This record gives sequence, C-alpha cells and structure tokens, in this order.
Amino acid sequence: MKPLRPVDDVSALPTVTFGPRSLMWWGTLGFMTIEGWTTALLVGSYLYLRQNYEAWPPLRTPYPSLLIPSINLLLLLVSVVPSAMVAKAAKRLDEPAVKRWLLVMCAATIPTLVLRWWELWALNTRWDTTAYGSAAWTIVGFHTSLLLLDILDTIGLTLFFFIKKMPVKAFSDATDNSFYWYFTVGVWIPVYLIVYVGPRIF
Amino acid sequence: MHSFFDPASPQARAVAGLWWWMFGVGFVIWLGVAALAVYVANAGHGQRESDDLMHVPPETRRRIERIVSASVFATVLVLAVFLVYDFSVGRLLAQHPQRALTIDVVGHQWWWEVQYEDPNPSKRVGTANEIHVPVGETVQFKLRAADVIHSFWAPNMNGKRDLIPGYVSTLWFKADTAGVYRGQCAEFCGLQHAQMAFYIVAEPPVKFAAWLAAGSAPPEPPTDSTLLYGQRVFMSSGCAVCHAIGGTEAKATVGPDLTHFKGRSSIAAGSLANTRANLTRWIQNPSAIKPGVRMPALPFKPAELNALVSYLETLK
Amino acid sequence: MTTLPVNEKLPADVTLSPDELLREAMALDTTWRDKPGVWGWLSAVDHKTTAKRYIITAFLMFIAGGIEAALMRLQLARPENNLIGPDRYNQLFTTHGTTMMFLFAVPIMTAMGLYFVPLMIGARSIAFPRLNAFGFWNYFVGVVFLYVSLFANTGPDTGWFAYVPLSGPAYSPGHRVDVWAQVVTFTEIAALCGAVNIIATVFKMRAPGMSLNRIPLFVWAQLVVAFMIVFAMPAVATGSTLMLATDRAVNMHWFNPAEGGDALLWQHIFWFFGHPEVYIIFLPAVGMVTPIIETFCRRQVFGYTAIVMANITTAFFAFGLWVHHMFATPIPELGQSLFTAASMVIAIPTGLQIFCWIATMWAGRPRLTVPMLFVLGFLFTFINGGITGVMLASVAFDKQAHDTFFVVAHLHYVLIGGGLMPLFGAFYYWFPKITGRLLKESWGKLHFWLFLIGTNVTFFPMHVLGLNGMPRRIYTYLAPTGWGPLNLLATAGALTIALSVLIFVVNAAKSWFGGELAKENPWEAAGLEWATASPPPPYNFIHTPLVRSRHPLWEPTVELPVVVGLRSDRREILVTTTFDARPDSRHNSPDGSIWPLYTALSMGLVFIGSIFSPYFVLGGLGVSLVGLLGWAWQSTQPSGVERVALPDGPIVERV
Repeated sequence: MKPLRPVDDVSALPTVTFGPRSLMWWGTLGFMTIEGWTTALLVGSYLYLRQNYEAWPPLRTPYPSLLIPSINLLLLLVSVVPSAMVAKAAKRLDEPAVKRWLLVMCAATIPTLVLRWWELWALNTRWDTTAYGSAAWTIVGFHTSLLLLDILDTIGLTLFFFIKKMPVKAFSDATDNSFYWYFTVGVWIPVYLIVYVGPRIF
Repeated sequence: MHSFFDPASPQARAVAGLWWWMFGVGFVIWLGVAALAVYVANAGHGQRESDDLMHVPPETRRRIERIVSASVFATVLVLAVFLVYDFSVGRLLAQHPQRALTIDVVGHQWWWEVQYEDPNPSKRVGTANEIHVPVGETVQFKLRAADVIHSFWAPNMNGKRDLIPGYVSTLWFKADTAGVYRGQCAEFCGLQHAQMAFYIVAEPPVKFAAWLAAGSAPPEPPTDSTLLYGQRVFMSSGCAVCHAIGGTEAKATVGPDLTHFKGRSSIAAGSLANTRANLTRWIQNPSAIKPGVRMPALPFKPAELNALVSYLETLK
Repeated sequence: MTTLPVNEKLPADVTLSPDELLREAMALDTTWRDKPGVWGWLSAVDHKTTAKRYIITAFLMFIAGGIEAALMRLQLARPENNLIGPDRYNQLFTTHGTTMMFLFAVPIMTAMGLYFVPLMIGARSIAFPRLNAFGFWNYFVGVVFLYVSLFANTGPDTGWFAYVPLSGPAYSPGHRVDVWAQVVTFTEIAALCGAVNIIATVFKMRAPGMSLNRIPLFVWAQLVVAFMIVFAMPAVATGSTLMLATDRAVNMHWFNPAEGGDALLWQHIFWFFGHPEVYIIFLPAVGMVTPIIETFCRRQVFGYTAIVMANITTAFFAFGLWVHHMFATPIPELGQSLFTAASMVIAIPTGLQIFCWIATMWAGRPRLTVPMLFVLGFLFTFINGGITGVMLASVAFDKQAHDTFFVVAHLHYVLIGGGLMPLFGAFYYWFPKITGRLLKESWGKLHFWLFLIGTNVTFFPMHVLGLNGMPRRIYTYLAPTGWGPLNLLATAGALTIALSVLIFVVNAAKSWFGGELAKENPWEAAGLEWATASPPPPYNFIHTPLVRSRHPLWEPTVELPVVVGLRSDRREILVTTTFDARPDSRHNSPDGSIWPLYTALSMGLVFIGSIFSPYFVLGGLGVSLVGLLGWAWQSTQPSGVERVALPDGPIVERV
C-alpha cells in the first residue's frame, strides 16, 4: 500500500445543499425521467392504436367531456404557486413559512385527486369496451398514480413538519417535493391535450 | 427435403447465394481477427515491464493508430458491400407478377388450413397441411391466423412470414424444381408448436391442374355397406362437428377439411404417415401422439372405428 | 493529460502518522459497519453487502437456468424423445430465458457495478444505499416467486417474450403468464433502482480530480448502461404491467384485434426494450475486458476516448434496431431497410473496440492468466456471434434464419461470448478484491478450456440445424428430419459446459474459505479499487483518494494523494461537481434500515396479489404506505449541526 499524503481538507464544505448540488435532486430527476418516459411510451401506443380505427374515438363512443378535465387542469396549474412558495421559503430555511405554504399546497393539490375520479369517467367510455378506452384509461390511470404518490409525499412532509422536529436537510427535501410536483403538472399538459382534446382534432 | 441448403426456387436460391457470400467473408474475418488476437497475446511485442506503464512511444502509437483506423475503414467497406448486395437480393425477392395463383393459408393451433382462391366460389379448393404448387409459376400466399401467431416457413422455397391475428401477410415464390418439400411453423404457438408441419408438393403444371380440378369435385359417395356405416359414424359421432367432407352435410371448419384426406401424405400436420394403422391409432387417442391437441378421443366401438377408418380411407 | 482541476491546498509537510490512520480506521469502522445479528443482516445497506447478495443470487439463477437448459438438451438429444412432455418443456424454455435475461444477466452486470463503481471512483458508498437494498429485495421476491411457481407447475409457458395473443387472456387462462408479467415487474424495479443509483453516484460522487475524461472505462460502461436501463426498462414495464397484465386482469383490449387492439404493438414495445437489453448485458462486460487487458498487458488501453464514444454510439443505435426482431411480420419494407442499415452500423463501434483491445495487447506484454484467457475466449466467441448478427441484419437472410436454431446459436454466441466470458474473467480478476482470497489458476485454466470447448460444441452445430429447418422452441422432432446427430452433439457440449461450471463453483467455494490470501493489489493494477484492503472495509477508503490521471495507482509518485476532512463519527460522503469532480459538499449517507425490506415485501404483496384480486392491490398499498411512512420517518431523524449552503447566500450552521 502506498503511503497516504493529505493534499486537501474538505471539512469546511457544506453538509446540506439545494437543487442540483444535492444527491436527492438527482435521484428525483432520475425517477422523473423514468415516469415521464413511461407516459411518453403510453401516449405513443395510444397514437399507434389510432391507426387501427377509421374514427377516433371509435363509432358510437362520444368525445371525452372537457368541463371537469379543464377545471382540473386549471387547478393543477394554480397549485404550482403554493408549491413554488414552499420551495422559496425552504430555501430561506423559514420554517413557519414552509409549514404555512405546505398547508396551502395540500389544500390545492388534494382536490385535484378527488376531481380525478370524475375526470376518468369524463373519458365517456370504459376501459373494457374498446382498445381506445383501454389506452385512454391506462394513460390517465398511470398519471393518477404519479399524482397520488406526490400528494402522499406532500401530506407526509406536512404532517412531519407539524408533529416532529425536522432536521435541516428536510428543507432541501421540501424543494425536491415541489420540483416533483412541477413535473407531475407539466407531464399532465400534453396528456390532457392528447387524451381529452385530441379526439376532437384527429 | 427440408433445408435452406437445397433451394428449389429463384427466391431461395438468391438468399442461399447471399448466405454463401456472407459465410465466406465472415469466416475470413473471424479467422483473421482470431489469429491476430492469438498472435499478439503470445508474441509480446511491448517493451519491458520496467518501462513507463502509462505511455507508449510516439512512433509505436502512430503505427497503431494507422492500423486501427485502417481496420475500421475496412469494416465500413465490407459492411457497405454487404448492404448493397443485401438490398439487391431484397429487390429481387420483392418482384412478383400483378396476378398469380393465390393460396389462402390460415394458421390454426396446430394445423394449416389451405384454400385455393377462384373467382367462382364453387371452384375453390380446400385442403389442409399439404400445398400443391405448379413448377415454374409464381404463386402468392395470403397468410392469416385464426387464433395465435404462427409463422409459415418452407426453407427450400422462401423465407418465413408471420401469420398475425388482425393482419394479412403475403408471400411469393416460384418453385423451379419438382419435389416434396417440408415446412414447419416457426413462431411459438403453444403446446404443439413442435408438430405443426406442412408439405409443399411442387409438380409439373399439367399434373397440378389435374390435381386442382379433382380437388373441387367431391369424392364418390360410398356404396359398400361398411363404408356407409363408416360415413354414418362420421356424421353422428361428433366428427362432423369439426370437419368438413365435400358433397356431404359435414361442413364444419374447426378442423382440417377431409374431402380428399387420403390424397395427403400425412396425418395431424405432419405428425404421422398417412397409413391405415396410423389413422386408427390417431383417432383412438389423438393426445397420445400430440398431447394437448384440440381433437378429442371419442369412445368408438371397434366395429365403428373400423368402419370409420375404412370410410376415411376412401376419401381420395 | 489535462491540468489538475483540484487545488492541492495543504502544504507538503502535512503527513498522517500510522497512529492517526489506525484511529481513523477504527472510528470509520464503527460508523459504517452494518449492525450484527439477524436484524442487522436484514437491515444492511452497505453497497458491497447488497452487491454480494445480488451476485450470489444471480449466480444461483445462472445455475438454475443452466439446469433448465441441460434438461431441454437431454430432451432434444434424440428424435421423438419422451423425457419431457410439451407442457413441462414450454415452462422450461420460458423459465430458462426469463431467468437468464431478467434474473441472471442484467442483475449480475448491475451488481458488479453496484459493487465496484463506488470503489473505482474512490467513494465511500453509493448514492442511495437504502434504495439499493430495496431494489435487491424486490429482485429477490421476483426470484422466489418465479421458482415457487415453477415447482407448483405454474411456471410461465409462453416464452420469455410472451407474444400476444398466445399470452393473452383467451389463449393462456390460469396464472402462468401472470407470474411472468409480475416477475418482470420486480426485476424492472430492481434494475431501475440500480440505474438511478449508478447515475447519481457517477455524476456526483467521484473522487476529486476524476474529471469525465479520467473515469475508468468500466465505470463509463456502467454509466452508459444505467442510462439505457432508464429508457429501456420502462418499455417492458409498460408492456407487461400496464398492458398485458391489465388485458388479463381487467379485460382491457390493448392487444385484442377484435376491439381495435393490436398484437404487433406488443412486439414493438417488447423489442424496444429487448434489443437494448442485449447491450445492457454486453456493455458492462466490455467494461470488464478493458481493465483486464490493461492490467495483464501492463499498458494503458489504446483509444480511451474512442472506446467511450463507441459505448455511447452503441447505446444510441441500440434503441434503433428493435424492428430487426420483426422482419417476418407484415410491416413496411422501407422501414425494414432502415433497420437493416442501423443493425450493420452498430457493428462499427463494436469492431472499433475490438481493434483497440488488440492494439493494446500488441503494445504490451500480455500474461496469459485466467482472466486474459477468458478475454481471448470472449474475442473468438463473440466475434462469431457478431458476424452472424450482421448476417441477420439482412432482411432476406433473416426471413430464413429467424426463429430457427440458427438464431439460438447466434444469440448464445453473443451472450456467452460477449457477456459470460468477460464475466468469468472478471470473477477471476476481482475475486481477490471481494473475498481477500485468490482463485486457483490451474482449476481456472481447466474451467476455461472446458467452457470454451463446451460452448462451441453446443452452439456451433445449431447454425446448421437452423438452416436445415429446425425451428426454435420445439419439444420434439421426427427422425426423418435428420436433425438427430447434431442435436446429440449439442447435448454433449451442454454437459461439458455444466462440468466446467461445476469446476468453477468448487474452485470458488474452496478458495473463498481457504484459498491463498490476496494482497491489496495482487495484479499490480491501476484502478482505485485496488487502493484499499482486500476485501474492502465497510467505509471503502480511510481517506478519499485524489486523482491526477486515468491510472491512479500507476502514477510514478511514491505516495497516494488523499483528501481529508470527512467526519468519521457519522456516515459522511464527499459530493463533487459533475464535470470536473471538484469537492462540493459533504453528504450524510443513511445507515442500516429494515424499511427497504419491509417495503419490498409489501410491494410484493401488491404485485403478486394483483394476480388474484384487485382487493389485494388496495390492501397491499395500505401496507406499503406504512413502509413508506416508516422509511420517511427514519430519514428525517435529527442529525446534529449541519452547514447549510443557502442557494443564493452564505453557508450557515443550523441544527
């Protein structure tokens, strides 16, 4: 074994960082890529099945309703604001503000999950009638699982902030949670356009 | 005869030619690289162990760079030639006449339904597991699947085509050498994928025309009392639920058409030679020969079985 | 070589006394060692522990898959053999393929990365050790599930590719295909956890000074493959879990042509994953070849940059080849030509790498140790498989050879030559690092020669069989086909392979428990994994090495430069910048936890239960929720005073 010679000392480096400097951010980005790509593959398959039909939606299947999905889209977009405020407060290590905005974020995001139930039925078809219905239900269903996961994460984070003394790295986790929420909302926009608006266009 | 190495059509011949070229070039490349690897592994060209581990002298480095670049260039060149050759074979295979004798093949678990198309529906000829084609004439196959995916492959004639539910595939070839060629399902299709063979019978056009003409005519009705009994057994014991025999009320299409059953060389999609003994054995217990086969063993009495077999033996 | 991106700040007279080192080592050992006892064993998160579990489980899967192969070979040894009936045979070949691809090849290649990537880049651990353990337990549940099902006569029986509609609800009632779909799901989750871990580890945890152009080639290969996994595995997860399983469980119509579904969609999705899968196995193996050649030729590899580029190019093209598995299907011919061209182009980067290795051997003085022999075996065998691969890129020829034993021969030449040969070489090469003991060379040589001969005797005749018309996946054939003699020969070859593997297993077992002790760097190799004890301590390195070149241990300096200042009283790892690997922060790495195991088991309940009733899914999700909460609770325990780098401000100290 070669003798070791110290050439640098890292003891002054920070131990909690935010964004791309932190490992957790990269992990979050990795899973976002996987989930975004899965959504893309589902949308690709939906469009592939489109070729098997003369009409889209198939004959005797009505267009998806637009009312509930549009309201929910709006809600999702609005919920980005409290989410951003959580991140902003967390980056100042401002615990009261983080708690406050986490509550608002819960209040803004949980209804989207509730509305999602009617949003599924707004497809106006069942999953077991045609391949069109199967594809639409699978895409929206898959996105619902992302929605559920991030809302659970938000609820858990909120709960923990209120009932226990959180370590300072939890502020960094809170920004990653908001980061993931932007993704969940962002990935919904093309899904909404293709699954709900799309059949009226192609 | 069941081999890629004995092509019996221009299509299969072109691919075999491509193969022998690829084999030759590939073999030379393999031998060259392998020999080089053994040589350099044993020769010990490099400097002594005490030399600098991290750096190769510049002149050696330049020489290596030239050799590696040349090798990559040679690889590209060989691939380019191969690509051009392959595309030219591909074009040849894609050529076919506008109109041709068309044979519909439907893959079933685990047998082949065959229909010769004719504008006059009454002249369509149906058979199974054995396909007669005229020598010297391009034939088109329209391939469909009744249940799961199968793949139609007679290596002496042409490459394979998959039969996929929801799709119609086509395949063309022109047999140029008379003979009987074996083919087999090439896409895994369940329990009896292994025993789903068929035969291509390539024969002179005159002989083929005669065979086709005979095919559209029903077999002569039986007169002998045993045979009549056998026919009754066929109609009443369940055989007719699945099979058709031309000129009788048996018209089911679940199993192979038996109109000219005795004219075929095998039973159960190439599983057994078409002899009386084999036929008896097969009817008694199909699952003993093809485990999982859809055809059930019906409880025939010996006399019934004997008459049934005698009747089937007359379906020429 | 480029200039140093890292400042060497400390004066030259700062030294570490042996006493200081010993104290540091003891403190680190207390901090990093997984707890003893059964609970500690189940809660272990050391990346080396997890990786060893992966390697051993995956190797057992290799043996299981091998036994299945041997049984199939015995059945095919003569025409109309009655040893194994079609029902059992179909389960055997499906389980063989599923085991070898999903439960052996990919996991063992990932596991080698999970073991060695942190060591090779001078890191204390992996980025997410709990996620890593979670991935392993998922995989383990999949392994147990498949084999319990097989012994309960519910083994999957529609091929490792599970083509619809045969695998759909209409033609495969019962639960056999469900087992397949869920086993795939488990291994996907495991592979994805591993991939995310490797990407984060390589991007953020490299030793100071290990800029992108100094990353060891094995690590490069693992990084490229991790990206491939991220884009390939979701495809098969989509196909099997979101489409096939829903078609089967809740009557969806993804693949039902009667309702507008499409049987070819499955093939597109499956091969979009399935083709990259080959390179997911091959590239890590290629990454193993390079250090073996460098070490035993005592030369740095020729064409480092070219090899990195070749890896990246291969990964890109690997996603553009899937249609060459579908040339016999009715898809447009123009599309097929494009895929032919792409399939040929991918031969170029592979060829380039082979030439670079031969050049390296040429420039050096090769010592024909067992790892080197396996590298030569890799060249002979893999090049054969590569050439038949180029042949199969031809649509015209592929339509003849597709789904025949010619392809069976081709794929085994590629996977045994391009995956297994390097892997065996790597076993001999790194065994001393993992176990602290050397494998016996004489036994190794016997293993090598029998394995090489066995492989060729088994698979070479299959080329001829395939062109003589023998299709794949048949449990029997008639005597008049004339396929008997070559099949008998192939069976003899398979038994030779089995014997050679047996020799390896005995050698490994004997050496592990009583072999010659290995020094820290027995081969005088250049990589950082050799800069620590054999086997490495739980914390990997007493102090993080600082890297000045691609071959840190071949530097002509007497001393190994290191970075000090990481705490030893908690699990602290050094985070560096992505491109230049400058020290950036210290990260508190989690310690052992039972929650990864708990969560993996509860997810197992969800996936396995989904086969039987949707209520299992709901119940399982509830149970999983407890696991996620527990996991999160444990991850937010107080950690003492932290130095926080505010995004746009100074560093502040906070509790």
